[in-house]
Formats: sequence, structure tokens, C-alpha cells
Amino acid sequence: MTSRKNTLLLMALCALVLVAALLSMGIGPIFIGPDQIIRVIMGESSSLTFMIENYRLPRALLAILAGAGFAIAGVILQGMIRNPLASPDVVGVTKGAGLFAVVVIILFPTASPLLLPIVAFLGALAVAIALIYFARKSGAQPTTFALVGMGVGAICQALTEFIMVKYPMQANDSLVWLAGSLWGKGWDEIYALLPWLLVFIPISFVLHRKLDIISLDEGSSTGLGLNVVRTRYMLLLLAVALAGACVAAIGSIGFVGLIAPHMARKLFGHQHRYLLPGAAVLGALILVIADALGRGLNPPIEIPAGIVTAVIGVPYFLYLVRQEKRK
Amino acid sequence: MQKTTTRQRKGTFVLIMIGLAILLFIGLLLSVFTGVASLEIRSLVTHWLSGEYSKELLIFQTIRVPRAVLGAIIGANLAVAGAVMQAVTRNPLASPQVFGVNAGACLVVVLAIVFLADIGKANLIYFAFAGAILGGLVVFGFAASRGMTNLKIALVGMAIHLLLTSITKGIIIFNEHISNVLYWLSGSISGAAWTDVQLILPWSIVGLLLAIWLSGSLSVFRLGEEVAMGLGQKIARVRLLSYVVVVILAGSSVAVAGAVGFVGLMVPHIARRLVGTDYRVVIPVSALGGAVLVTISDVLARLISYPFESPVGIVTALLGTPFFLYLARKKGREMV
Amino acid sequence: MKRIIGMKRLGHMLWTLALAGTVLLTGCGSAEQKQPAAGQDSGQTAQKRIVKHELGETEITGDPKRVVALEYSFVDGLWELGVTPVGIAQEKDKDVEGLIGQKIEYIPVGTRQQPSLEVISSLQPDLIIGDLNRHKDIYKDLQKIAPTIILKSRNSTYQENLSSFATIAEALNKQKEAEQRLIKHKEIIAEFKKRVPAGDSRNVMLGVFRADSLSAHGAKSFDGELLEMIGIKNAIQDVAEPTVKISLEQMVQWDPDVIFLAEADDALLNEWKQNPLWNNITAVKNQEVHKVNRDLWTRYRGLKSAERIVEEAVNLLYSKEK
Repeated sequence: MTSRKNTLLLMALCALVLVAALLSMGIGPIFIGPDQIIRVIMGESSSLTFMIENYRLPRALLAILAGAGFAIAGVILQGMIRNPLASPDVVGVTKGAGLFAVVVIILFPTASPLLLPIVAFLGALAVAIALIYFARKSGAQPTTFALVGMGVGAICQALTEFIMVKYPMQANDSLVWLAGSLWGKGWDEIYALLPWLLVFIPISFVLHRKLDIISLDEGSSTGLGLNVVRTRYMLLLLAVALAGACVAAIGSIGFVGLIAPHMARKLFGHQHRYLLPGAAVLGALILVIADALGRGLNPPIEIPAGIVTAVIGVPYFLYLVRQEKRK
Repeated sequence: MQKTTTRQRKGTFVLIMIGLAILLFIGLLLSVFTGVASLEIRSLVTHWLSGEYSKELLIFQTIRVPRAVLGAIIGANLAVAGAVMQAVTRNPLASPQVFGVNAGACLVVVLAIVFLADIGKANLIYFAFAGAILGGLVVFGFAASRGMTNLKIALVGMAIHLLLTSITKGIIIFNEHISNVLYWLSGSISGAAWTDVQLILPWSIVGLLLAIWLSGSLSVFRLGEEVAMGLGQKIARVRLLSYVVVVILAGSSVAVAGAVGFVGLMVPHIARRLVGTDYRVVIPVSALGGAVLVTISDVLARLISYPFESPVGIVTALLGTPFFLYLARKKGREMV
Repeated sequence: MKRIIGMKRLGHMLWTLALAGTVLLTGCGSAEQKQPAAGQDSGQTAQKRIVKHELGETEITGDPKRVVALEYSFVDGLWELGVTPVGIAQEKDKDVEGLIGQKIEYIPVGTRQQPSLEVISSLQPDLIIGDLNRHKDIYKDLQKIAPTIILKSRNSTYQENLSSFATIAEALNKQKEAEQRLIKHKEIIAEFKKRVPAGDSRNVMLGVFRADSLSAHGAKSFDGELLEMIGIKNAIQDVAEPTVKISLEQMVQWDPDVIFLAEADDALLNEWKQNPLWNNITAVKNQEVHKVNRDLWTRYRGLKSAERIVEEAVNLLYSKEK
């Protein structure tokens, strides 16, 4: 019975994302009605075709993709660390990407724009390797992952700040990247991100049973015949691949990976087979709305979507903490 | 038997305090004599005695000394704030940085700088207090409830810290003229003057005295709430006072020097390692240890990219995070 | 049990479908990308030119009239060549007025850091000028809207500004006007240079007060280099970065003879003024601390701005003989 309810809910949310994406495409310095957008997408050409095809549509799609990616990475990390408060930013993955990106933005200002996403991804990967290295010695304890992640994140942040302080003139450029923004992003980023998501999202769905088991306590996981340590590494790398690819595409947008899984858990319960797609859809929804708000609040000035998610994130997070406290 | 151990304890305590005082003195000397202008003791003394104008003497009196003193005060403040937090929450990760107190103070101070022009440094301290309350309230309140694992609390703190700093950075993005606030966000005492020392000193004295006064109750607190209650402690009152102490100490530090991180995390651990878990001893040792740490970190901050200065907070973070990693591995299992 | 598995499959399939849909849409979108019609009929008979710039070569047809400038120094250059930009990236409304000295009609296109591509495309420009530092990532997107040239403005040297000006002229097909203007510029600069006595050995500190430190412009900054060129020495010589943060102690150590102060934050200055050390800096003792226009000295850059900086500096230093 719950499964039918969940499936219906998922379908409803998918529809909601489509509607939100459609409406968000109308928001910006120039307002466009949804009917016109549909006509343009259907192939009718008008004076707005260029804008919709080059900016509004790719941004909405990218927000959907990256939102889903961050959210799934969050679900995986929360399951693996067995803690509902873990997320790619809290365990330092996005901070590693941020450090590497800032090095490129500030120290090599004339580097090709193609380099930045690659380097950012490497940064995320470097944090993952550090996590595995440190966690190995304590038997891949989930707690160790979380704490080491926070520590490594703090080192990355200190170094990032050092570079920004040393080169104050360029610091502002990197702040926008660090906050995460879909400004100037388009089809190129979609093409770069899509293969990753197409590979790793299905893999995460396939692994949903393992996630169910590993989010139980240690004894039960081993009892159910799971190689706990190896599974944890695998899941960590999976989460980093997803989060890293998303960060590389649009910068380190925070809190989607923290909040979307929570909303999903409220709606869909704890089974990962629903949690994963549910969080993905909710993550997409959050980012689509955040990007539209950032573009539409004070046009033509763009507010980075990552700042909008942080502002939305604070009250929700406080609410969440209260809920956790009640339990 | 009992008596000898107490006496021994007292002996080590006194020894350690003396050792730290010597270290602090060396640190202060290093701090006072490190910088772009080279100072000579002999000429300083002769000019001081004769009372005639000397650039070196003025640099010494109005820049180097207040800076060294301010570093020591901030170090003591943050370390004691951390010790009090760790005692009340019984969480080895508790500290102003990890629990979002620094980030809260920073956010409100930046807001005040941006939206209330010419606010004046003296008034900033109250905004920093408000922010420290804001940032700490969530995590501290959260930590007080039962059934919370230390790890969860730390993660809440980290998330609050992240949220608040991203909003702060967002404000900076749209106000390019205050991008230098960044320098201060990571914690810096490079521009310290006597006015800063005057500003922080009363708060610091009140906070530190309160902490020492509370230290007896804190030791009992550490054994667990039931025991503490059994021993006649008024839990709620001690907790509230501890919270006031943390806000005063951390808030005033942030107001004059920005968010110098990880001092409050590191120092109490080392102090406990040295003198045990009796907070009547841990608090003074932490105070001196924090002073030593920040003073020496500030010397390093001046040397990293000499002749230009780096924020002291970056040095403490780089020193503090390996320690954090060490704690994570050492105590990871206990924190689930 | 079977039913549950079926449902599970359905959930998975839905998601896969959604992804596949995305791929499809992506494909459609890219297939239909095309250049906007704007600006094509304005100068079809005119000759085509290839303009070289920082990120390659751009083909420009005719004389661009609707130009979007994404940095202030480009606005400066365009204005000097008689072109009013249709769109300008700006932070504050009074920025452009301060730059060219009068109010002009234009559409703001967002901040220099994140100019709105949508607004730019809606202006249907026939030329876009962007900055290498800030806009290299969106070069391709700008190129889709209109022919785009990317030049150095941010963190650029004086010489780079001159060559940017020449490139702008080439793109506008106004090389002759530009040549004349450059000759005039050199005359103006030379004129001011004459007013700098050869024997003057005073060194100058250019600084902006920020919340907690002074950011000083060294000899390698735009204004520092400019003043060096006309014989005004900068106090900070051997530093690779154009701008450095200095404390009062460093200020005292460098002991500048003249301070040009672009003030941003009074608090720090007031604090420093209370320190007796401040009063013993040569510049303060000789009453050679001058306030200068902050936007002009730190943000605008460009040809006319360079002349205004030199004028302000020379007037402050040499007009009122003591």
C-alpha cells in the first residue's frame, strides 16, 4: 500500500518539478508567460526563442540535474555515515573542490575555463581519498568519516581563505564560484554533467538495498552478509563522483544535499528505493526554485543560487533540528 | 594516600602554570620583536628613559605591545570558552568555532558593518554578542537535550557554521567595498591598538572570573547530569551561566579580532591531558595555554608571507585541524 | 511481493524516463541554436574585419553601433571614440556618470562580475566588449549573442589599457579617430609630465582605507605605473602584486613623502590618526595627505581616466606652491 502511495507521490513531485521548471523559465529580467515558453520549446520560433533556448531552458535543466545529483549524494552520505546531518558540504567534499577551484581562479586567472571543472572535481576526489586514508585505520567507522570530513574541510577552508586574503582583488570572483551559481551556465555544462549522472544515479539506485542495510547498525549489516568496509568505500566514492561532478558544473551549492534527503525522508520514509528518487526530485525542485529566485529577485543583478539555498536552508534547518530534538 | 595525590596534582598544576607563563613570556617577546621594523632593546630603553621621540619606541609602544597583549587575551578567552563548552556539553568537539558561535557573531557584525555605516568599533561588540547568542543558541540548546550524540551536535554546529558563513559571503559578494572583511572573517589582530585592548579587557576579565567561579560546578557537571543533580548542583543555572560566559568570551573576541578558530577546541584538550579533568585546574591552564597559542600563531602569521601579514586565524586553523583529525580518530568510536 | 517489486521497477523506470526526457530535450535545444538576427542587416555592404583579442579572433562586419561594455575602461574608450554604449555592466547607478562626467542613456546589464546574458541579448547588440579576467568563462555565450572581443581591463597595466583602446577602435572601425585621440592623450600626459620637476625625489603612497588595513597600490598597479611614467615615484617598488595590504607599522617603515588617500572607511583612518606614529610620517608632517576620487583611482581605468588621474595628482602635488 505504501509503495503505491510512494509511487504516486513520486509522480506528483515529478510533475511539480516540470511545472516549477516551466514557471522558473519565465522569471528573470524579462518576464515570459508559460504559454509562450511551451510554444518555443515545441519549436515555434519567436523573438524569445534565442533567450529561452540559450539561457532559460538550459539553466532550468541544469538546475534539475545538479539538484538531483547533490540530493542523491546527500542521501548516500547520510545512509553511509548513518547520520541524518551529513552532506557533501558538511563532510568537506565541496570544500576540497572549492580550494582547488580558488587556486585556479586566483593564481591562474588566464587559465582556460575548461580547466576549472576538472580541477574542482579533482579537489572533491582528493578529499575522498583523504577520508578513506584516515578512516581506514579506524576500520572505516562512520563517525570517523564524518569527523575527518569536517577536519579536512576546515583545512581546505583555511587554505582557501589564505589565498583569498593574499589576493583580495580577485577574491570576489572566487566568492561567486564558492557560493555556487548557474549564471552563464548552459548546454556545455549539461553535456559535461549528464554522462556522470547517467552512470552514477542508476548505480546508486541499484545499490539501494545495500544502503538500506548499511544504514542499520554495524552488527546487523555484517549479519546480513555485507562487507561493510568495502561497501562504505564504494558508497563514499559514488557520492563523491556525483557531488564532485555537480560542483564542477555549477560551483559548490550547499544545503541541497543536506535538506532534500530530509524532506524525502519525511515524505517517503526510510527505504532507499523511494528515498533516492524522492530526494533527487526534491533536490531538483529546490534548485530550480532557488535559481529562479536568484535571477528574478533583483534583475538584472543575479544572486548566486547557492546563497538563495543557504537563506532558504537556515529556517528549514532550524526546524529540522527541532524535530530531531523531539525524537 | 589521598593527600599525597592531591598534593602531587597541585604540584604538577603549579609547575605547568609556571611553564606556561614562561612560554607566554617568550611568545610575547617574540611577538613584540617580530615585524617589518627591527627594534633594538638598548635603543628602546635609552629612548624610553630619555623620553625623546623615537619611531622605534612608538612602534613598540603603540603597535607591537597592544597587538601581543590582544593576542594573549583573545587566546585566553577562546580557550576558556571552549573549555566551558566542552564541560557543559560533555562533548570533546565543543568549541566556539565548531558550534557556530563564531560564525553567528561574524554574520551579525558583517550585517552591521554593511547596513549601519559608521557604526564604530565600540558598538560592534554588542552586535557580536547578539550574533554569538544567535549562532550558539541553536547548537547549545540542541546539545542540552537528551539522546543527542556528540557527533550529531558537532554536525549541527558545522551545518550552522556553513549556513551562516555562506550568508556572510553572499553579503560580501554584493558589497565589493567591504571585501576586506574577508581578512577579518578568518580572524586577524594585525591592526590591534590599545583601544581594542581597552574594549575587550573588561569583558574578558568578567568572563574569565565567571568561568573560574563556575569551574567547581563544571567539574561535577562532567560526571553526568544525574550525578551533578545528586550532588546538589542547580543544572539549569550552571548551564545558563556557562552560556553567558561563552557568549561574553567568544563574542568579545570576535568583535575585535574576527573568528579565530580552533583555539577553543585544541587548548582544553591539551589542558586536560596535562592536568586531568578537574575544571578548577583546567580553566586557568586553558587560559594560559590559549594565550600562548594565539601569541605564537600571530608571530607565525607575520612570517608566512613576510613582509605582509596573514590572518592569525589561518594559522590557528592549520594548527587546529590536524588536532581535530587526531581527535576524530582517537575518539571517533565514543561519539556515535 | 511481486507487486512490490513491480512498483519498485515502475519507480525506477519513471526516473529513467525523466532522465531520458532530459537527454532528448538537450538534443533538441542544441540542434536549434542559432544566431540572433540582430545587427545583420545594418552593414552588410561594409567590409569584414578580423579583430584580434585576448581570446582569439573575432569577425566584425560594418561599424558597430549598438555596443555593450562590460567594464568601465571600455565605456571610457567607447565614449572617447564617440560611441555611447547601449548596455553597461555596473555596480552602482552613479558609476557611469562619475566615469564620463555626465548622465547618459543606457541599459544596465547587471554587475560586471555577473552581467545578465538575457538583458545583453535583449539589447540586440552588434558588439560586446568583455574583460579577460571576469568574462572569459562566458565568452562563448557572448559570442552567440554578438561578435565579442575580450580585452584586459581588470588588473591590467597602463600599457595594456592603451592597447585595449586600440583594439576597441579597430572593432568600431574608428582607427583614425583612435590614432588622433592617442596622440592627444600622449600630449596631455607629456604636458603633465613637464610640470613634474625632474629633481623631485618624493615618493607617493596610493592607498585605500578598508575596514582593517590599508590596501596600497604599488608601482605595478594601474595608477602606480601611470604616475611612475610621468616621474612621480611610488613608495612601494619591489612587490609583485599590484595591491598589498599594509599595517600602520609598514606604513611608518616605508615612510612615504606624499599620501594619496582614496578613502573608503573612516574608522581605520581615525584610529591611525590617534597614534603619534601617524603624525610622524613625513607625508603627514608636511601636510601632504590628499584625498582623491576613489572610483577614479581604483575602479575605472581607461584612457580618459588615466588623464584625469594624472591631472589630479599633478594638481595636488605642484599647483599650489608652498
